[in-house]
Amino acid sequence: MPETNTAVSQTDNLRPMVHAALFVALISVGAFIAIPIGPVPIVLQNMFVLLAGLLLGPVWGTACVAVYLLVGMAGLPVFAGGTSGIGKLFGPTGGYLLGYLPAVLVTGALSRFLGKTGFRDILAMIAGSAVLYSIGVPWLKLAFSLSWGQAVSMGLAPFLLGDAVKLAGAVIIAKKIRPLLKE
Amino acid sequence: MADLTLFSFNAGTTALHDLDVRVKTGLVCMLSMTLFFAGFFACLICFLALYPLIRSQGLTLLHLILRLKGFLLLLIIMAAARAVTVPGEPVFSILDVEITRQGLAQGTLVAARFFLVMVIGMLFAVTTRPADLKSAAQWFLAPVPFIPEKRVGLMISLFLRFFPLILAQAGQTADAVNARCGSFRKNPVRRIRSLTLPLLKKTVMAADHLSLAMTARCYSENRTDPAFNPGGKERIFLIAGAGLCLGMVLLSRESVRMIFW
Repeated sequence: MPETNTAVSQTDNLRPMVHAALFVALISVGAFIAIPIGPVPIVLQNMFVLLAGLLLGPVWGTACVAVYLLVGMAGLPVFAGGTSGIGKLFGPTGGYLLGYLPAVLVTGALSRFLGKTGFRDILAMIAGSAVLYSIGVPWLKLAFSLSWGQAVSMGLAPFLLGDAVKLAGAVIIAKKIRPLLKE
Repeated sequence: MADLTLFSFNAGTTALHDLDVRVKTGLVCMLSMTLFFAGFFACLICFLALYPLIRSQGLTLLHLILRLKGFLLLLIIMAAARAVTVPGEPVFSILDVEITRQGLAQGTLVAARFFLVMVIGMLFAVTTRPADLKSAAQWFLAPVPFIPEKRVGLMISLFLRFFPLILAQAGQTADAVNARCGSFRKNPVRRIRSLTLPLLKKTVMAADHLSLAMTARCYSENRTDPAFNPGGKERIFLIAGAGLCLGMVLLSRESVRMIFW
């Protein structure tokens, strides 16, 4: 009997696991897909991270980001700019990479707790982004020995407009894709 | 975008292909950690040490530059940003923007480090079979408590299957959007939506087909454990890699001192 139960639980887990693997690939591809909307193109990586939280939930979303970080640490060039390696995690932008883990957890947990409407999705993603920057910016400050003002102007301010656009796009996408994942 | 070959495994019989994937992963980690604080000379030594391995994959420096040209542009932008933002002794100025000697040096050094990390990642991806990578992940994670290593291994192999599929579909979707004059759209949210929504719909459907196929074939995590086939040169590569890292650390004592003390 226990063997039958294990087999049933594995089959139940299979679909979310395949979706989580799909999101690992989307987050990696997100580093390569740039949409030119002005002088600075928008890279879709962190939008896919937050979408993973919204669509997969806190557990599978976190698992998906953890596997993404693992694959990058192991040497596959999946980090922004086609880079990889454990050194990247300890570099100046390592805070943003490690911050993906709590960010997706918070986004997923809030989305589950608040409910799944457009406005609540936005709230969950804003909270996730806040967590991401609250780790990334101090890490950048420490890495470059910057003042708080410099760290914010280098590691936060330039991305806010692009993030707002990505957030708006992500809400529309989450609304359309969620029924497909539930079917 | 689908033409990107950074991820594609190229079958071969070179020393790197034969090297045990666990040793290869360890070397990548060691080198990427060392490059974090490498100076100019250490970067040059690292490149010279890697060059025979690059040549063994049938690539020349020109091939490498052409293959990584998209990323090199990013590195140039990054180096240029450093050159104008780091204060120091001005070398010349363009339109009232001063380029400093210290900025140029820092920018070039950071770009060199990133370039080397890219090259190491590419060598790893080109010479490692996806199945071996999955096995290595399982092997490394097996002693870690509370981590389902077989599940993580399966997620990695699925990720490696999805990655080229998504790149190809992203390229096709972008072409379809451009054919409908989507590139002339001013609204950035609509531009993101028109590219990402069809891409996600297609890939989620592909993922569902895959999970159905796996269920139909009675997928189970209890599979035979992976077997490793060491090529016999692991010890030489480990000693050479450790020597290279040690040499790079010694050559970069100044950077190491600045970071740790």
